[in-house]
Amino acid sequence: MDQVFEGTPKADIRLEGRKVIRGEVSNDWASRLQWKISHNGKVVGTAPARADLDYEHPGTEAGTYEIVLELWKYEGFKVKDHGKFVEISNKVNYTV
Amino acid sequence: MLHIGNAPIPTCGGLTRRSFLQVGAAGLAGLNLPDFLAMKAAGAVDESKAEVKNCIMLFLVGSPGHLDTWDLKPNAPADIRGPFKPIKTKAPGLDICEHLPLMAKLADKYSLIRSLFHTGSAVHGAGHQWMMTGHGFNNGDPHPHAGSVIARVFGQKSALPPSIILPGKVGAVGDNLGERAQTAAYLGTAYNPFFLGADPAKSDFKIANLSPQAGQTEFRINARRKLLAELDAIQQQVENASTVAHDTAYQRAFSLITAPETKKAFDLSEEKDSVRDRYGRNTFGASCLLSRRLIERGVRFVTINHFDTVFSIACWDMHADGGSLNNTVQDYERHLLPQFDQAYSALLTDLDERGLLKETVVATLSEMGRTPRINGKGGRDHYPPCWTNFLAGGNIKGGQVIGASDKNGAVPHEYPIDPPRVLATIYQGMGVDLDQVMMPGPGSRPIRLIDAEPIPELF
Repeated sequence: MDQVFEGTPKADIRLEGRKVIRGEVSNDWASRLQWKISHNGKVVGTAPARADLDYEHPGTEAGTYEIVLELWKYEGFKVKDHGKFVEISNKVNYTV
Repeated sequence: MLHIGNAPIPTCGGLTRRSFLQVGAAGLAGLNLPDFLAMKAAGAVDESKAEVKNCIMLFLVGSPGHLDTWDLKPNAPADIRGPFKPIKTKAPGLDICEHLPLMAKLADKYSLIRSLFHTGSAVHGAGHQWMMTGHGFNNGDPHPHAGSVIARVFGQKSALPPSIILPGKVGAVGDNLGERAQTAAYLGTAYNPFFLGADPAKSDFKIANLSPQAGQTEFRINARRKLLAELDAIQQQVENASTVAHDTAYQRAFSLITAPETKKAFDLSEEKDSVRDRYGRNTFGASCLLSRRLIERGVRFVTINHFDTVFSIACWDMHADGGSLNNTVQDYERHLLPQFDQAYSALLTDLDERGLLKETVVATLSEMGRTPRINGKGGRDHYPPCWTNFLAGGNIKGGQVIGASDKNGAVPHEYPIDPPRVLATIYQGMGVDLDQVMMPGPGSRPIRLIDAEPIPELF
């Protein structure tokens, strides 16, 4: 019996200062949920997002930070890495 | 009132047909008075008084690596400790993997057993035998699945079967030793688990074993029922123990097909979207949610097999072999641990919020551990000498660590626990008095549910 993942996951995120806050994930596949952080357009890190609803990136270097929520998508055993991360939220950004 | 299994047998107000059969069968098996006295308490679990009535068994087929999940060794060499780090939990001294953050918040509700071992072969089926039945019988006569034992002891209290396995039977695992660990064995076919045989996470989810086969109309079902009743009358003249088993099995099948509450029990669309999300929109999460619905409606024992095979599917069997067993630590981090973390946490919380956790044992089991040393491809292989499982709910005290492995997780260092003790703990956790309640064994002779003592520290 192959694994079934129904629906399209989605979540809304917003900023309070530099802290990013997420709502609950709808159609949640319950795989790894993480914040993806970019600085001036370049991905500089990810951070786990499952345990808490908010996150504040410690980066202080000047420039624009963009944050989005990602969820692991299992695509099948024969697929490379068995899947990939997909973005499931709106993007937010702030400038330092 | 004499009890054998779950059937009350009036001793002064006349014998029922079934009680006559059961006593008759016992008599045929050559039971003497002491045997009967020994069986007197069997089935004497009074449902109206029982505080704990149910069990949900989460069986992690393939076996998680204990060093990557619930028994991390941060001070061991890199090729033993692996890439994951431990995190603190709500229970002091009970650290678990960083990828189980939701479980960490509920650590007061479950207790880990970190010194499990079995001495059978390092194959999946041998572990299935040990952990599903409490016995290692290899190719010999099988012993009943724990769900069948409980079905025999507690009986059926609704149209639903007392023991259900979700979403399906464990199939291909490289050996066939586990095949017969999923039956009622000598308890008789009436106590076989009911296999759902469908994926509750699918939007078109239908229960294969419940849906009438093509062309089988309600008229035909009722006609068969009438025919059965007529045959039953004839059978009463030539009854024996096997007739009882068939009778029960047929009644169960008809109940399943026709009872409206059956369909309702399996209808996950009745749940709020937020609840379904909380469990996770996947096969395991939906099975956990379904298990709660089934327990609420009178099913005594629900087994959830997390995966029905180890081949060509991302599962716990982390060999990283580059072929059909190419599961890796990345699969654990991205897929398996989060999926388990979310479903398990949702299940415990949901049961607790509904007042069901105190009457439901939740047992998370696997067939063995995985090798302490990481293999040449980055995986870990089969390892029965040491592993970790855990129990929650019912009478079981949470927030504890029972036993300990050595510094590399290679052998139990303190308090070795074998599988029969885990089964004994589950039964006692369900409120069954193991010194009083017995069941008919091979040849219908009364036997204990399990020849082992429960773990006293968990009560």
